[in-house]
Amino acid sequence: MIQLISFLLIGALLLVSLYSFMRREQRAEGGSGALIEARQALNTLQAGLLPPELVGRIFARGDLEYVEAKTSKEIRELFLEERKKIALSWVSRVRKQVLSLRRFHLRSARFYAQLSVRTEVALAVDFAALLLECRALQVFMYVRGPYAVPRMVGSTAATATRVCKISEQSLAFLTPAYAGRMGNRAARS
Amino acid sequence: MDVQQAADDLRRRSLSEFPRPLDRLIYLASMRDYNTGLYYHDGLASRFSQEVACEAMADCHREAFRQLVGCSLEDLVAQMEGYMASTHTSPADFLTAWKGLEPYRVAVPVESDPLSAQFLFSSFKIALVILESRLNQRSGEPDA
Repeated sequence: MIQLISFLLIGALLLVSLYSFMRREQRAEGGSGALIEARQALNTLQAGLLPPELVGRIFARGDLEYVEAKTSKEIRELFLEERKKIALSWVSRVRKQVLSLRRFHLRSARFYAQLSVRTEVALAVDFAALLLECRALQVFMYVRGPYAVPRMVGSTAATATRVCKISEQSLAFLTPAYAGRMGNRAARS
Repeated sequence: MDVQQAADDLRRRSLSEFPRPLDRLIYLASMRDYNTGLYYHDGLASRFSQEVACEAMADCHREAFRQLVGCSLEDLVAQMEGYMASTHTSPADFLTAWKGLEPYRVAVPVESDPLSAQFLFSSFKIALVILESRLNQRSGEPDA
């Protein structure tokens, strides 16, 4: 009887170990996905959305002045409508990528990066401010057009660039070769 | 290194004939096979290799795209006007074709940043309307 109970206990322990091992594997896979997603978000922000030349072009007042000076009212309206679409698209893309980076920092960054508590707090404040700024920008641009709040556009781009720099440090270990291996592992499972 | 040399060669020989980024963008897009996305240039391929020539042309295409995205609206309108004149098509026919077919949508390099491409398409749209309104003013018709 004692032997049977021992066997049952050992069996139960083995089952529990197996279950916890499987849970850990699943977490690791989720982690690799989060890492790749964060890296992609960082690339999109740094190469696609935040380069000062592009931000400068989208919100260039020179274009507005040219259209106001040289064209009719209908063309001016078309111009403002088109630039508004682009400006709103820019903010919404920045917000989406920032949310993706924040997800990485909330869930996975502590497992991979050695950020000090102070940096993590500063980052949390930056994320909160950035998301708030993006929402405010969307409202202002929707109501008053793309040229309504140029300073806020500048400060949003600056905060996003700062967040990208810190995230870059957290993801520095993720070289293309390492990311490729993780991607293959995630694809296989 | 070979790709860099081939790109320099391309800039010096073929692209120097096109002073405007818009002309270079259209020219390089026309050298790309729609089915494969690969670029072909016999002269460049004979001096280097097909792979190197293709990569060099892709580099120059991306460069022309970046330059065009960086242009002001006024500059883009001037470039379109110049390009339109160089085609020897009647301005009215040219504007109708460009507004209808939007050929600039297939002239951007593969994997261009989507927002930059969206911005350029939008600027093309505005530039076409400005050119059309100028044409109408010259022929005495009301603005678009």
